[in-house]
Amino acid sequence: MIPTSYYVALSAVLFGIGVIGVLTRRNTLVVFMSIELMLNAGNLSLVAFAFARQDLAGQMMVFFTIVVAAAEVAVGLALLVQIFRTRATTNIDDVNLLKG
Amino acid sequence: MPSWIIWLLPAFPLAGFLINALAVRNGRTAGLVASASVGAAFVVAIAATVMLAGLPEEARRFGFVLWEWIRIGGFVVPFGLMIDPLSAVMALLITGVGGLIHIYSIGYMAHDNRPVRYFAALNLFVFSMLMLVLADNLLLMFLGWEGVGLCSFLLIGHYFERKSVPPGIVPAEASIKAFVVNRIGDAGLLLAMMLIVSRVGTLTFYGDTGSATPGFLARLPELTGAQIAIGELGNLNVGLAVGLLILLGVAGKSAQIPLFTWLPDAMAGPTPVSALIHAATMVTAGVYLMARTHTLFEVSDAAAWATGIGVATALVGALAAVTQFDIKRMLAYSTISQLGFMVAAVGMGGFVAGMFHLLTHGLFKALLFLAAGAIIHGTHETQDMRKMGGLRAALPMTFRLWAVGALAISGIFPLAGFWSKDEILGHAWFEAQNVGAALALVFASAITAFYMGRASALIFAGKRRDTSYEPHDPEPSMRWPMVILAAGAVIGGLLNIPGLHWLSTWLEPVLNEPEVVFTTERIIGQVVLALVATGLSAGMAYLGWWLYARKLPQLITVGKEDPAHYYLGDLWQGAEIGWGFDYVYTNYIARSYRGTARFLSQVVDRGAIDGVLVGGTARLLSGISRGLRAAQNGYVRNYALIFLGGVILLILGIAMRGV
Repeated sequence: MIPTSYYVALSAVLFGIGVIGVLTRRNTLVVFMSIELMLNAGNLSLVAFAFARQDLAGQMMVFFTIVVAAAEVAVGLALLVQIFRTRATTNIDDVNLLKG
Repeated sequence: MPSWIIWLLPAFPLAGFLINALAVRNGRTAGLVASASVGAAFVVAIAATVMLAGLPEEARRFGFVLWEWIRIGGFVVPFGLMIDPLSAVMALLITGVGGLIHIYSIGYMAHDNRPVRYFAALNLFVFSMLMLVLADNLLLMFLGWEGVGLCSFLLIGHYFERKSVPPGIVPAEASIKAFVVNRIGDAGLLLAMMLIVSRVGTLTFYGDTGSATPGFLARLPELTGAQIAIGELGNLNVGLAVGLLILLGVAGKSAQIPLFTWLPDAMAGPTPVSALIHAATMVTAGVYLMARTHTLFEVSDAAAWATGIGVATALVGALAAVTQFDIKRMLAYSTISQLGFMVAAVGMGGFVAGMFHLLTHGLFKALLFLAAGAIIHGTHETQDMRKMGGLRAALPMTFRLWAVGALAISGIFPLAGFWSKDEILGHAWFEAQNVGAALALVFASAITAFYMGRASALIFAGKRRDTSYEPHDPEPSMRWPMVILAAGAVIGGLLNIPGLHWLSTWLEPVLNEPEVVFTTERIIGQVVLALVATGLSAGMAYLGWWLYARKLPQLITVGKEDPAHYYLGDLWQGAEIGWGFDYVYTNYIARSYRGTARFLSQVVDRGAIDGVLVGGTARLLSGISRGLRAAQNGYVRNYALIFLGGVILLILGIAMRGV
């Protein structure tokens, strides 16, 4: 049996890749995917802990996360489409109207 | 008829004002609404006068209180109007002459930029003036008093966008000047009211229209019996103090020395305004107030002050009028002089004589101003009499009407001015036994005749000195009001003609003036006085006409000094600038005040308050926010990084605590 720590380590690595993706990439779609990656890293550790503790609460939590992620994808993609339509760019640095 | 109908008197002009101010956009409609509302008020005034006449003589007063205006402890001010014979004649004058001037204004203001504003303000003026004369207490009267001041301000500044109107007045400044000078008088009136409240506790004139307690006029001994400490100077009789303070208010509103300087500048307004407000009605409010509070002046020494001020004003105004070349300014100084006659008469106890002159003056001075307006209108805004001359042939109608007014004000038999002026002179000489004042007034009336002769000659006699315009007589809507006023100026003397004395009989219940006993001696004296005064006036009028129509006309040129200036020099110049009152006020009072104001505005307001307090706070906050703004650089990634850092710190914190 694969020890729980492996799952947690994988989860941490995935999360780290997501964070770096969000912080370094300029393409909005890639940033968006990186966010999804971070969410799923969280899901992975939840499932791993749930299995280790034999507690279904963790698995249930994952379902909620998936639902929220689905909703977020719907809203997020709609936003991306709108941004692309109005500004004709996918570069996130060009979207800086809120600059102080 | 019920007594509430007196409320219809001010209600009609108020309705006219509201309709004009809120709904009307067309100048002609505004004029018709305004004239109709004042006409309706005139009908109500007649009805109220008829009602009064139907009452027994000692009970000729009724009022109607709408509501209790102010109640502070025992001090109650009702919002009530009352009418008695004195108010009735004032209301008839205001609505009658006012209505005619409204009708005249329709033609005069036909080409104006803002006729609706003009008519709205004119209606508001009539409303305020009626509140002034009908109020049953001093405070409500003060409301009307301030209201007419406001309308005067609005109408003097009617041409506020013009930088200068003849003879070099700035309308916006003239209106402010009128307002500020009047405030000095108003302060006096307010202080008088406070003194009355502190001693008597009520401001109602007579107590019978609403409360059971008698008004302050019935409780004068409480004022005259008390003393008020004025520091080192000792004590002052409260009755005298109140009288002098009221006199200050009168000097402001009725343009007496030392506060008359606003009236010549008030001519910056449209000419019908000068006729209605600055000649016939508003400026007589002071005389009305003195007649209303006549018992106070009968028992205190303030009356002597009023006499002195009135006589001095009559002389100063008349002499200044002689030197003017601007037709309206000449009439303004003439008005000041005639108001001096009234105040002097009232000061000497001749309340009926003062009121009589107020009424006749209202008629013939309104006529003169309207005729001046017709001349100005017909000569395309020419006001300088040097640019006129020879207008008799071109403006035959206006000439006849002007001549009636000029003869009336000069006191030529049998026009209205003769009777009223003669009554003042007779009262001064025989009843008041004040020979000095009587002689001064005879002299002033001779000067009056002289300057009217001079002005008439300058305008109508000889050849045209300026032929750049095409003069024309006024249209019917302007002519008929003048014709009616001219009829009044001719027969107005009937009001109080010796032998009938309708006006003194009518005013007797209010003024309680002792009846003059006409002994043979008194009649002969009066006739001699009248003959001398009128002969002098006629001679001076002819002299004025002769000098400027026959003797000197070739010496009068546009833009040059009067030929008499050559002989009289500085004296003439002094009279021309109103005896230097303006100069003194400007340089010795206004200048220091302006310096203080400039210091306050530039240093205190702009420097300290705006610069340090307001600007400093703003600069401090914007400096802080400029620093904080750097964080908001618009890059999502930066926000995410900061967010990440925060999360890491949070987790570390939790982890550390867990240890």
